[in-house]
Amino acid sequence: MTIESVATVSEAAPTTKTRQTATERSIVAFCCRECAYAAADASANARTPLPPSVRLVLLPCTGRVSPLHLVTALAEGADGVMVAGCLLGQCHYREGNFNAVDRVAFVQRLLESVGVEPDRCRMFTMSAGEPPKFVAAVKEMDRVIGALPPLERKAV
Amino acid sequence: MPLTNRGREVLDRLPDVRPRTSSSMGCEIVRHEELCVGCGTCAKNCPSGASQRGDTFDVHQLLDAPADSRRGALGAALRRVARREPLGLVEVPPRVTVYRTIFYDAERCLGCGTCARNCPADAIEAGAPEFKVTS
Repeated sequence: MTIESVATVSEAAPTTKTRQTATERSIVAFCCRECAYAAADASANARTPLPPSVRLVLLPCTGRVSPLHLVTALAEGADGVMVAGCLLGQCHYREGNFNAVDRVAFVQRLLESVGVEPDRCRMFTMSAGEPPKFVAAVKEMDRVIGALPPLERKAV
Repeated sequence: MPLTNRGREVLDRLPDVRPRTSSSMGCEIVRHEELCVGCGTCAKNCPSGASQRGDTFDVHQLLDAPADSRRGALGAALRRVARREPLGLVEVPPRVTVYRTIFYDAERCLGCGTCARNCPADAIEAGAPEFKVTS
């Protein structure tokens, strides 16, 4: 299947490199079960190819996502994180995705403050019946991350 | 003794009344910043407005947090990807209810210990009141 990609998780890339190939970079997508994951499922059933860099993490609702999840994913090897949830106002738990929007905005400000591109963390919304929108969101994220230099990480 | 918010309101309406001040007799409030999550429960319950919940957050508080503290996990992760020293305060969106800087003003504090009783992180300690006997 296209959802479970076979690419290996990229190690901390040497600093001389300015770009990463599509299989080297990795994007973690936190998807809500009600909309984004259903859309991802439908796109996989339709055999739409996804970029090999993306890894999906299933959440009951994007309201579960915390700044700790997003920043830890970046620190542990992801080059970008995306949060994919329901359309605003159509959260199945009423306001979970509003919480996610604010937390993503907070993480973007944190990243910007320490000199990391805020585009590495982004929020997308879609309904369950829009698999093309999900694929477009993943491709957009992959394009943005591909244009950025690899994320340097300090040793623990 | 410092005034409560209501006491200050009354005094604002009565301009010629001067409060008789005396030394504080409340508990000694000790704030443990490394345990604080920045939720602002202390500010919500404070009768005198000594604790204020800010709409900003100092990123240094995250980066300097010790590893075993409540903010330590996020701070350690952010430290790994950080490229430079943080520029200062970041604004916190309204729905991010924690990760806020709490401003504490010891001058206004009554020493009632309400904050310590309500703190969900046990980050505030209210010691026994210090009685000063004056002749």
